Amino acid sequence: MTVSTETESPVEIGVGLGTPLRLVLVYGHRESSRRAAARIALASCAEVRAVVPADDPRSFAELAQDLRDAEPDAVLACAADGKDVAGALVLLEALRLGCAAQRPPPRVLALGPDGVVERLRAAVPPFALERFAGDAAAVAALRALRRGGDEGRALREELIEDAARSLAASTAADAVVVDVSERTTSCVLARVGGELHAAHVGGLGVGEGADRVVLHAGLDRVRRWLPWPIDAPALLDRVFNRARWSGALPATEQALGIEMALAREAIAHVLRDAAYAGLDVAAMRAAPTALVTGRAASFPRRAQTLLVFVDGLEPTSLTAVLREPDEGRAERVALVASLRAERPVTLRLAHATGRDDRRVEPGSFTLAPVSGEVEVSAASGELRGRGHAGALGLLIDARGRPLSLPPRDAERIPVVAGWHAQIGALPSAAR
Amino acid sequence: MAWRYERWTADHRLPIGVVQRPEVGEHVKAGDVIATGVGLGSASRLLGARRIGVPPGDLERALRVPVGSEVRAGTVLARTGRRFARAVTAPGDGRVVHVTADGDLYFAPIVDHWVVRSTLDGEVTRSDDARITVEGEAWCLPGVAAYGPDAVGEIVLGVESPLEDLAPSRVDVRLGGRIVIAGARAVPEVITRGHACGVAGFVAGAAPAAGLRLVFGAGVSAAGAPSRDDRPTVLCLMGFGTAPLPREVFRLLTTLAGSRAAIHTASARLFVFAPADAADAPGDPLQVGLAGDYGGVRTISDGCAGAGEVAFPSELRAGALRCDGDVLPAANVRPFARAR
Repeated sequence: MTVSTETESPVEIGVGLGTPLRLVLVYGHRESSRRAAARIALASCAEVRAVVPADDPRSFAELAQDLRDAEPDAVLACAADGKDVAGALVLLEALRLGCAAQRPPPRVLALGPDGVVERLRAAVPPFALERFAGDAAAVAALRALRRGGDEGRALREELIEDAARSLAASTAADAVVVDVSERTTSCVLARVGGELHAAHVGGLGVGEGADRVVLHAGLDRVRRWLPWPIDAPALLDRVFNRARWSGALPATEQALGIEMALAREAIAHVLRDAAYAGLDVAAMRAAPTALVTGRAASFPRRAQTLLVFVDGLEPTSLTAVLREPDEGRAERVALVASLRAERPVTLRLAHATGRDDRRVEPGSFTLAPVSGEVEVSAASGELRGRGHAGALGLLIDARGRPLSLPPRDAERIPVVAGWHAQIGALPSAAR
Repeated sequence: MAWRYERWTADHRLPIGVVQRPEVGEHVKAGDVIATGVGLGSASRLLGARRIGVPPGDLERALRVPVGSEVRAGTVLARTGRRFARAVTAPGDGRVVHVTADGDLYFAPIVDHWVVRSTLDGEVTRSDDARITVEGEAWCLPGVAAYGPDAVGEIVLGVESPLEDLAPSRVDVRLGGRIVIAGARAVPEVITRGHACGVAGFVAGAAPAAGLRLVFGAGVSAAGAPSRDDRPTVLCLMGFGTAPLPREVFRLLTTLAGSRAAIHTASARLFVFAPADAADAPGDPLQVGLAGDYGGVRTISDGCAGAGEVAFPSELRAGALRCDGDVLPAANVRPFARAR
């Protein structure tokens, strides 16, 4: 994999996806505990097999059975205060019943005040309990498990986070990195101050994780992005075949369209998970610089990467989009101006070759062929900023947020095909 | 080629509530009951050590019935003292499920019974409350995904050629207890009708994914859905949609028809219990290719030749193979059954 610290200077790094980590989340009655558990799971790219709140309504035997079926490598317990202890103890007893014979046994990681964790410790044997003072230490422990003892291995999500930090440092502004690979999807926001909001979802992607995208999002949400009619059973066969065929390549436009649709929904799913964990999704959408990596950056056309990014992330301001395929250099793709105007807006563009006023109709989606640095300002004051137009130019997206698509095929397909055609995203959809 | 006679291992995961299981080293046959157990209802927590006045660690010694045993209402579960005895009694008919770290007891009523059957002829190499592992020799054909519970039965051909689909009208009670080779495609009508007629399981090149969702629920994934409940069993050997079986594999299945067999759904494998010399495994490694639009999987009969780097209709440039006159990305071609 090649990950660059700047757009023109790639660095070769040996990287692995790491061992898939099956994680069970246990959390107490407080919202903060739930969010901490979700945040750590997202940051560590674990595959969450079961979520057990302290007030779980399942019976003891059902809970023990579900924990046995989950076969967890690790259990993360987040307790905020003494009120969580009674519930957490029941869950840990269920874990003892369900997983006592599991080989290797699950590791129990606990976050919470000393006194609370000590009370849990008594219920954990034969499993070992490790207490962590904060999120970062727990994430480090879970990542170490994913390395499978190979300390020298760099995990993909660590490189994505490094790329986000570097991008934020080099642009002196917030930066978001969106990565969609065969079986993981990530959205990472690096703030100028060094703060990181990382969401990595394991088992979700455009390849081996394709069926999980359909499971989470629903088949219709994937199908709605296709610019041609396809019946649901035929689409499902294709998704399932792709999921069982690691590393397959889309030889036809249809297969490529399906991968693009899956990538959009994978990104949207990660954002939903990030919002659930209390990460700053609004800041991810408003980041002035965005880098797309992985399979989503390896589509043959830049416009395909751009469309997947815009539809999946739904940026809300002026965003300079770059992409960096796994086997290639970073390149500037386009500048995206997202408008939510309900009335026509005049957009003023200032670029190297002069000034330009453009009238933007609500719902429009157009690509302005400008190049170099562009200063953009909306007469309404909704949008103002500057950025590099990249290879494609300025994409003016006035479709609104959240993006809504007509439910009926007969209305939706022409609209989606029109978006593809506007930016030349598919060979058959000529502009 | 993974379709071969060899020594294999099959794991059988056990639900909570095991009553009986075999010892390591015991010999079992496919279809034998290797574990029995009970389904548990809503468990209640009984004061244990605190009730009888012993430290939590000493409760095990005061128990009058072992953990996991089935008892009648009023049975003394634990007791201390002689003249002024203190005891914990069963609140109803049921089972002592678990002893907690602080010395309490979980007690649950029994709501049903379950059995787990072996899917392999051989020797038990691991046996504990979570799983039983059996190791033995058999012909084995790995698939891509399997759905439903494990199945054991005699192999029978439901179709005459590998290109054919099994028609629902050909499924009747005469196929009861058998594992039916369903050809290129097992459609949901065939699967549900077969289940109603007592068919043990279906083995097909593929099954429509939407049909599998209809039969097994919307939560099924491409990785399969092993279960323990009363459902049909389906093994997809090549993919989803339609996938004619390679002639060599079909020929081998024809030769082994009438033999005892088992579908192990957790690992998506078909085991056939016939002598090693009952058939010849295909010599050349068979290859299959995923269609460029992901719509199906097909057998490549004449082998593949390198076609260099090719620009496909998707505009993707990648290393390609020319297989049976078709150009496919090299990444979309692989051996028929990758060893598991």
